[in-house]
Amino acid sequence: MTAMKAPENTPVWVDESRCKACDMCVAVCPAGVLAMRQEPTSTLGSMVEIVALNDCIGCNECELACPDFAIYVADNKDFKFAKLTEQSKARSKAIIENKYRVLG
Amino acid sequence: MAFNYDSYLRVEKMPTLWCWGCGDGVILKAFIRAVDKLGWSKDDVCLVSGIGCSGRFSSYTDFNTVHTTHGRTIAFATGVKLANPTKHVVCVAGDGDALAIGGNHTIHGCRRNIDISLILINNFIYGLTNSQTSPTTPQGMWTVSQKAGNIDPTFDGCKLAIAAGASFVARENVTEPRKLEKVILEGLKHRGFSFIEALSNCHINLGRKNKMNSAMENLDWIDSITVSKAKYDKMSDEERLNLLPTGILHQDNEAAEYCDMYEEIKKVHQKQRKVITQDDFAKKI
Repeated sequence: MTAMKAPENTPVWVDESRCKACDMCVAVCPAGVLAMRQEPTSTLGSMVEIVALNDCIGCNECELACPDFAIYVADNKDFKFAKLTEQSKARSKAIIENKYRVLG
Repeated sequence: MAFNYDSYLRVEKMPTLWCWGCGDGVILKAFIRAVDKLGWSKDDVCLVSGIGCSGRFSSYTDFNTVHTTHGRTIAFATGVKLANPTKHVVCVAGDGDALAIGGNHTIHGCRRNIDISLILINNFIYGLTNSQTSPTTPQGMWTVSQKAGNIDPTFDGCKLAIAAGASFVARENVTEPRKLEKVILEGLKHRGFSFIEALSNCHINLGRKNKMNSAMENLDWIDSITVSKAKYDKMSDEERLNLLPTGILHQDNEAAEYCDMYEEIKKVHQKQRKVITQDDFAKKI
């Protein structure tokens, strides 16, 4: 397997030059790690932001769902991922209900 | 460590020209992971694509690639495969490309059972040219060419491929990227014609007037019309109405492959054997 080296202590990272803000990664994240922030210079006016880095469970769903090669998840050998908690589930639900936008 | 797609891509062409949330990207990623798992060298793979959004596959991937005319992917790929029988030839075509204008080539590729893998991206519409009716557009949907609602009956590409003689037929859905990768891997491994239908979203051109404005809404609709083959087999005919089974629908490892038979023709011309007769085929049956 050809591998890409993860930035240190980072479970999930985004290549913002490739992201088209389609909301797919936010929609599939079960732990509410991702949300869209306003970004006037982006094509659709928003950009994906990692809002709860330490809650990432390493399920890889965002990477698999991303059509634009923009989001990457570290391997579970290199990073100790968190467990899925009720709090992260609730945040995920709230973000989706907030039309994938950053809460607050 | 994360999977590095860049080693299989022409990175200078990124970001892709596809719309935000397009399923083509997910299919491209699944295909790259499958090739990586098989451990094939980039020089041993030839990717042939036609016209349509799926035609961009040949521009973005760093294999040997051919970008051909509309619907003629199988015709070009047949030539490539016969000239290089040890290489792996993969075709990527959309539903308009492989089932409408290139329908004839698809049928005859399946009939010959030549060792080509066809990844058919079915988004239920002509996406690139802005929403004309394709052979797979569901009845009653709005399209630019049938604004009062589509009245054309749809047809099932997988059933067509099975009937035409393809020895590997599978269907998968972009909402299940892991299963899609597995099906593509099995299809690439299979020796004979592999027909892999990947159901994809086009929320821009199918969804905009059909109440599916976002990629997620479109994918939810695709989820609602698909069911796994195991469940589908247990259903009654009434329940099956308007549903599409997913998974490996047909696999025949015994069917004769076209390149093997072509080798026999070469032997005839090299005077190493007598002409092929009907009896030779009768023995195999």
